[in-house]
Amino acid sequence: MFTLPQKESRAPATCPGPTSIQDLDSNSGDDLERECSRKPDRKLPEDCGASGPTAMLSSDSSCLSSRGRVIKWFWDSAEEGYRTYHMDEYDEDKNPSGIINLGTSENKLCFDLLSRRLSQSDMLRVEPSLLQYPDWRGHLFLREEVARFLSFYCKSPNPLKPDNVVVLNGCASLFSTLATVLCEAGEAFLIPAPYYGAITQHVYLYGNVRLVCVYLDSEVTGLDTRPFQLTVEKLEMALQRANSEGVKVKGLILINPHNPLGDIYSPGELRDYLEFAKRHELHVMVDEVYMLSVFEKPAAYRSVLSLEGLPDPQRTHVMWATSKDFGMSGLRFGTLYTENWDVATAVASLCRYHGLSGLVQYQMAQLLRDRDWINQVYLPENHARLKAAHAYVAGELRALGIPFLSRGAGFFIWVDLRKFLPEATFKAEMLLWRQFLDNKVLLSCGQTFECKEPGWFRLVFSDKAHRLRLGMQRVRQVLEGKSRVAEEPSSCQTQEPRSQRR
Amino acid sequence: MESALPAAGFLYWVGAGTVAYVALRISYSLFTALRVWGLSHEAGVGPRLGEWAGSSQPAEAETQSMSHPSDAVHLPWGQMGSQGLGNQGVHTQPMEMMLHLKQAIEKHMRQLATRHQQQDLVPEDKRPYQAPGEQEALLGNLMYQLVNLLQSGATDGPGLQPSCPSLDVKGDAGGGQWQWAQSSRQPAQPGYQLNDPEATFVSQHLSRRGIDISASYQASFQDYKMYQGDKYHEDENTLGFINLGLSENKLCLDLMTERLSQSDMNVIEDVLLQYPDWSGHPFLREEVARFLTCYCKVPAQLDPENVVVLNGCSSVFSTLAMVLCDPGEAFLTPTPFYGGFVFSSGLYSKIELIPVHLDSESTDANPCPFQLTVDKLERALLESTLAGKKVRGLILINPQNPLGDVYSRDLLEECLGFAKRYNLHVIIDEIYMLSVFDDSVTFHSVLSMESLPDPNRTHVIWGTSKDFGISGFRFGVLYTHNKEVASAVSSFGYLHGISGIAQYKLCRLLQDQEWIDTVYLPTYRSRLQKAHRYITKKLKALGIPFLNRGSGLYIWINLQVYLDPCTFEEELLLHHHFLDNKLMLSRGKTYTCKEPGWFRIVFADKPLRLKQAMYRFYQVLEEQKQRLRVKQLESTQRE
Repeated sequence: MFTLPQKESRAPATCPGPTSIQDLDSNSGDDLERECSRKPDRKLPEDCGASGPTAMLSSDSSCLSSRGRVIKWFWDSAEEGYRTYHMDEYDEDKNPSGIINLGTSENKLCFDLLSRRLSQSDMLRVEPSLLQYPDWRGHLFLREEVARFLSFYCKSPNPLKPDNVVVLNGCASLFSTLATVLCEAGEAFLIPAPYYGAITQHVYLYGNVRLVCVYLDSEVTGLDTRPFQLTVEKLEMALQRANSEGVKVKGLILINPHNPLGDIYSPGELRDYLEFAKRHELHVMVDEVYMLSVFEKPAAYRSVLSLEGLPDPQRTHVMWATSKDFGMSGLRFGTLYTENWDVATAVASLCRYHGLSGLVQYQMAQLLRDRDWINQVYLPENHARLKAAHAYVAGELRALGIPFLSRGAGFFIWVDLRKFLPEATFKAEMLLWRQFLDNKVLLSCGQTFECKEPGWFRLVFSDKAHRLRLGMQRVRQVLEGKSRVAEEPSSCQTQEPRSQRR
Repeated sequence: MESALPAAGFLYWVGAGTVAYVALRISYSLFTALRVWGLSHEAGVGPRLGEWAGSSQPAEAETQSMSHPSDAVHLPWGQMGSQGLGNQGVHTQPMEMMLHLKQAIEKHMRQLATRHQQQDLVPEDKRPYQAPGEQEALLGNLMYQLVNLLQSGATDGPGLQPSCPSLDVKGDAGGGQWQWAQSSRQPAQPGYQLNDPEATFVSQHLSRRGIDISASYQASFQDYKMYQGDKYHEDENTLGFINLGLSENKLCLDLMTERLSQSDMNVIEDVLLQYPDWSGHPFLREEVARFLTCYCKVPAQLDPENVVVLNGCSSVFSTLAMVLCDPGEAFLTPTPFYGGFVFSSGLYSKIELIPVHLDSESTDANPCPFQLTVDKLERALLESTLAGKKVRGLILINPQNPLGDVYSRDLLEECLGFAKRYNLHVIIDEIYMLSVFDDSVTFHSVLSMESLPDPNRTHVIWGTSKDFGISGFRFGVLYTHNKEVASAVSSFGYLHGISGIAQYKLCRLLQDQEWIDTVYLPTYRSRLQKAHRYITKKLKALGIPFLNRGSGLYIWINLQVYLDPCTFEEELLLHHHFLDNKLMLSRGKTYTCKEPGWFRIVFADKPLRLKQAMYRFYQVLEEQKQRLRVKQLESTQRE
């Protein structure tokens, strides 16, 4: 159930004797290190984190603390694909045989629009106050702008208040700070799985908070109308199970539009989830970072801030950022909206560590203020490009006979590659992931999203046409090889993609 | 029976300790609350802003008051004539009362403790175990009465309506926490930001550590918040706060604004808008390595791979503490030292800072005031090891904050050698390295040493906040030869990342060595010199002792003669007198200084503001002299 080390507390004086430590050192040490460097998933060996077993994670000469080693382990394992990509990025001219990244959820379709807008002269203002220590909640001018912006685009019934806005350097920091101020170490949040896996790390690093998965099925059963449907029943069950295991659950994380499924929750569903949370006095953190990236029927999307009479406004916390909707993940801007003044204040108390540059705050305010540009230039163009890219990839997948969830939101398609696995295990999934990477295309496999069924992959389509084409071609090469492997085992040695491996 | 006794004794001490702790917390909280009360009460003197709080749209009122600060509300007492002085009396008098009460409680607790010590032989079952409960009730009651008393005088006072104080004592390492329970939550009042209700009530929504974080932030930064809401401005807000407490370099904002406005700064490239390398964009890390190689006079070129950039030095320190220490482990810190480290170590990493107290007095063993020696480090290490603490490292700040000392090469080598002998990490904060303005003083970066005693355990922090006066830029650097530490710190990049656009600007800035060498640094240093000269002249005229060093943005001054008795309570009161006159300094206690009466005064500000600030400074000290005279008179009369 848990994806994280079970405890942080240091081992008491009666920690495992020298023999057991030695054992760990000499035997499992190597194995584990090999494991770590290979697997991009986030599962730690069960008892890591206590001082004894950490010896496994590193040699004796390590200068790091026990938690430092766990943290570094996360880094080494979770970021492998990403770093491999950074070392060998595809470039049309300079590195045409480099890796195409269809794994990182980034919108690369609108850089032209954005860099033109951000280079305009109104962006270039430098004022002394922007260079000095700020209000750690975020400069007032920016919080005012964010409140106006969210009021408008989330269609909130009443204008949102700048004082309830906290600005910091990205949603990762928001997850981290919320986990820290809402939970004690060792407590947990519920999260429907599959989910955007990096959250595990965000809530753990500083907060030492765990995630309890509400596992969703691809099979449509009972009253469900779609695969991986979240229902209150499933939430109740997961919560009960956690309680019975003695895990204290403090909140629920919802991602809407969903990453990686692309699902959009209807107002009715949203209300059900919120009512569930209210019944159990759970905080709800709603991650709406893709709210403007709904390219099919954008009007159907409803922000939680648009609901009349939230069930438990003091426990409902909304996050948004410019990383996805404005395709600027490198800008590091995220914002929290909560009616709960205590939570806002507590999060702001940590903002000293998660602040963003005053100059960038100024630029963000300018950007969010420019409704004409957003409504008439940016959003229509962005949606059109997303739609076209989605149509292309969906067409390719259909041609390959690959099932997938067709949704009209987000930058990705949730793809079912189960039939390409020789056996339904995560090991096989990992092998397939590695084959993709060896063939210079980076995808994200289901395990990194805590999907319980092996064989699902997330494919990001928000990239330039030529890269998409090449990426899909590489995907096809691997899969065609695979399917033939499955059908005619004898011919596998001669397959094209294999010979391309380095 | 005999075997049960020691355990019972222990339990007794737990109980007694709890009561003592509770008493102190109550005193502190009430003390804070009184300040809140006192300050917000003042608002009643201006236009009746207090009434806004009761209006139907309080939040709007608050915003309004924040964006249009009303001068009338913000009149410093010193300039308000008799009415203002009267208020000042209201403000400080209860606080003094409170101090007396606190002393009484402490005395009472001591007596209680001795009494029980004598009772140690009394059979277990006859021990008064209910004592802590009774004491709590008694103390609670006392405090409650005092608050009621104050409230009766506060007709249109703020929303501080403590119901019966709820006591909530926790045994965890984060420290106990107790808060005013407030029955009805009221929105923040206009005027002083101090009376935000968050400071004074229990949240049902936060975790214990969340409450701790909020509270410790409130405690450390409420002055800062007040200042943010009411900054002095030459034309627009002449009665606002002048902040000589915050170490911010405001001398070169003109140069920086001009440089950052140049067209080469404004480049937007795709790569800047995408997810970065979490240890910093390679172009920036290369530039930082080159920059440090040059300005730290490093014998061999530094390696960009050993550079990690994060959004500020607090973040760098916080992540280092996370990856080098487990909760409860400790760092040695020569004291007085920069208070931000205390705050940082308590928030996320939960590590302990063990002060190595330095003496102001000059003796044979201590030729210089506050002289750091390896001997003192060694003794502190021994003592804390004996006390069962696990010391993982040593923190050095060079140039020192708040003393302004610049360590000699020999001393540095000795300290590093000491750390190596005991396998300690050394975190060296060199954030003021370019702010050495006295030509006779030479700064030696630890990176300039030919060979570091223990390169794998030496970690250097630098940032642009001080040396370039751009604290709002949020940029901090770690340089460490230890790849493992660098990569562990990088895993926090997600949480402490810097915008690509800002990274680009920083890179351009650090690249422009010609501008730095011929324009920026000469101007900056001459302005520092001038400002320093001005303040030291004033201090000399006032007969105030201070450390005359040639680095940093601040002067460490001794105001002990203005305290009677010389205690931290009196130090705090004096600090409040400064605040009452809209002048912020920082007091020695926040630097964990062992002797009361030291203050840090920042001089890196515009001449006009410095002049105004020194005028306020002078006024407060005059008033304080007056107060001391009255006090002496009273005491002689009593005798």
